[in-house]
Amino acid sequence: MCPPEHFGVLYEINPWMHREVTVDPERAREQWGNLKATLEQAGAQVEVLQPAPDLPDLVFTANAGVVNGHQFVPSRFMHPERQGEVPHYVAWFEARGFTIDWLPDYVHHEGAGDALPFGSVLLSGYRFRSDAASHAYLSRLTGAAVRSVELADERLYHLDLTFCPLDERRAMVAPEGWDRYGRRVVEALVPELLVLDSDQTMAFCANSVVVNSTVVMPSCPPEVGRQLEAWGFDIVVCDVDEFLKAGGACRCLTLALDLTLGPQGERLGEPRGRR
Amino acid sequence: MATEVVEVEGHIIDSLILAKVLDTIVDAGAEYRMVDVEIGRASTDTSHARIEIQADDEDVLTTLLTELQLHGANRVEDADATLEPADRDGVLPEGFYSTTNLKTQVRIGGHWVDVENPEMDCAIVVGDGNRVTTAPMHRVRAGDLVVVGLDGVRVQPLERPRGANPFEFMASEVSSEKPKELLVGEVAERIRIRKAGGGKILAVCGPAVIHTGAGPDLARLVREGWVDVLFAGNGFATHDIESNVLGTSLGVLLQEGPPVEHGHSNHLRVINEVRRRGSIAAAVADGYLRSGVMYECVQHDVPFVLGGSVRDDGPLPDVYTDVVEAADAMRALVPGVAVALMLASTLHAIATGNLLPAGVETFCVDINQAVVTKLADRGSHQALGIVTDAGLFVGLLADHLCS
Repeated sequence: MCPPEHFGVLYEINPWMHREVTVDPERAREQWGNLKATLEQAGAQVEVLQPAPDLPDLVFTANAGVVNGHQFVPSRFMHPERQGEVPHYVAWFEARGFTIDWLPDYVHHEGAGDALPFGSVLLSGYRFRSDAASHAYLSRLTGAAVRSVELADERLYHLDLTFCPLDERRAMVAPEGWDRYGRRVVEALVPELLVLDSDQTMAFCANSVVVNSTVVMPSCPPEVGRQLEAWGFDIVVCDVDEFLKAGGACRCLTLALDLTLGPQGERLGEPRGRR
Repeated sequence: MATEVVEVEGHIIDSLILAKVLDTIVDAGAEYRMVDVEIGRASTDTSHARIEIQADDEDVLTTLLTELQLHGANRVEDADATLEPADRDGVLPEGFYSTTNLKTQVRIGGHWVDVENPEMDCAIVVGDGNRVTTAPMHRVRAGDLVVVGLDGVRVQPLERPRGANPFEFMASEVSSEKPKELLVGEVAERIRIRKAGGGKILAVCGPAVIHTGAGPDLARLVREGWVDVLFAGNGFATHDIESNVLGTSLGVLLQEGPPVEHGHSNHLRVINEVRRRGSIAAAVADGYLRSGVMYECVQHDVPFVLGGSVRDDGPLPDVYTDVVEAADAMRALVPGVAVALMLASTLHAIATGNLLPAGVETFCVDINQAVVTKLADRGSHQALGIVTDAGLFVGLLADHLCS
C-alpha cells in the first residue's frame, strides 16, 4: 500500500474523477489507516511504498503491475498522468529482490487492477486501460493462462471493479461490466458466482480485498452480506469514499505480494508477433 | 473488394476472443478465411490464428480493422518477402512459397509488386529491377532469388460474380441435364464479350473433336478469328490432317460413316507425308494440306502447341516430344487468354488448366461426365462443365459465332 500524503483529484482520467471535487486529506489519511489496520487484523502483513509529490494516484498500488512469485511485471499505463509512477514501483520491487520483466512498450496493461487470478487462470480485462494485445505477452512472461474479458462500461474501467475472487470456487462478479463473451468466460471459470446487481456494482462491492476468510469491502448491501456469510466469510466494511472521488475503492489501494501465477523460472518464449 | 490479414494470439480459444473476432467480422458484413490456426496443446499454451478478411470496400475494412484491434487482432506485420537464392539449377530452396493461380503480390522494399504471370504450383522469383514472376521448378537457375515462407505474399481471392452472371441460373457447375442450345448461346456470348475486351480465346482440343465430325466447324471458327491460340496433341492434328487429305479419321469415312479398307494406316501415311515436308506449315505451303483446322491456323497465323505423349504415332514434326518443352511453349502463349474452351480432351485440358491464371473463363466440354467433373473441380473458380458431344457443341458454337 502507499499512504495518501499526496493524494488528490488533480486530473480526470476516469468518469468518477472531477477536478472540482476536493479531497479531504485528513479524512483520506484516516480511511487509509483504517483500511491498513483492518487488513492487518484480518491476518495480512502490509508493506508500504513511500508516496511521491505529483503522483496522486500512487496510492492505487493495485495498478503497479503484475506480481508472480519473485517476478514483477510493471504496468504500461494508458494515461501519461500515471506513467510517472512506474519508476517508483520498479525501484521498490527491485530493492526487494524481484526480477523485473517488461511488457513491450507498445501495449498497455494496468497491473493487478486488470489481472486477477482464479485457480490456474489469470483473468485479464481489456478495453479502457489495458490492451487485449498485451495478454499474450503477459501470458508468456508469467507462464499463466490468461483469459481475456472485455470491459463494457467505462465507469467500470478496471477488471477489479467487476471481479473479486473469494476462494478456489467462488467469486463476486459484476457482469454488467463485461460483454457477453466475457460473461461466458467467467461463467465457465467460476463454479459459484455471487452476482452483483447494478446498485451493488456501482457501490464497488467487487473492489474488495480478501484476507483468509475476511472480505474487506467498501460497502456491503444486506443481500451480498448474507451470501458471503452463508459461504463462511466474515465481512468488514471500510469506508473509502475519499478514494472513490478518484474512482478507486479498497482493492485498488492494495497490491497482493504473495501471488504465484505460473510456473516459476519458466518463460515460455517470445510471442509470435514481431514489431 | 478489400482484403487484409490479421493475426491474434493468446488464450484466444478459452477467452472466446477468437469467437468474438470472427463474430465481429461477420456482423460487419465481411467474410473471413482462416489462413493459419495453431491451437496450444496444454492449457498454458497460447494459440495463434491468422485470419484473412474480405470486405466490400476499404472503408468497411478500415472500420472493421480498428474494432478488431481492440480485441488484440492486428494487421499481420507487413514484412517484406523472404528471398533465398536457389543453390542449383532446377532445384528450389526448401520452404519455397508454392503458388496458386490467383492474382498474387509480393512485398519488396516496402511495396507490393504484382507477380507478372500467375500460375499454380510454381515458385516466385524476383529478378532484376524487382520484376516478380512465377517459375516452374525446372526453370529456376542457381542464384535466382526465390520467395520462401509465407511472409510478404498476398493473394487476391476471386470476386464472386454478382448480378449479371449468365450462369447464375444453374445450381451446379456440371450440367448434363440443361438445355444445350441455351448453354452454347451463353458461351458464345461470353466469348464475344471477352474478345471485345481484348482477351484471347484458347481452344484445347482432343481427337474426338475430329472423330465426331466437328473439324470443319472448328476450322470455320479459326478462319473467322474466334480462336486465337490452339493447344492439342499429335492425335488431334493428325486426324484433322487425315480427314482433310484422305477424308477419313482413324480410317473412318467422316462423310459416309463406314471404315475404309486399310484405313487404319491412313493416319500413318499422312503423318509420314508431313514428316517428309518437315512441318505442318510446309505441308500447307506446298499444297499437300489444303483445308482443316491446322490449315486455317497456319493461314491465319494462329499459334498452336502440339504436346506429345508416349502413345503417339510418328509424331508429326511440329509435336514437342519433350513434355517440359511443350509446357514451356504453352506457357508462353497463355498471357492474354481470357476464355479457354476445353473440347473433348483430358490430358491437354488438365495441363492447360495448370497453367492458366485464375479469372480465365473456362468451359469444359466432354461426353463423359466424369471428365467434365474432374476438369471443372480443379479449383478453377470460373470453370463451367458441359456434358455433351463435342461435335454437336462445336457445330452449334460455330453457328452462333460465325457468319
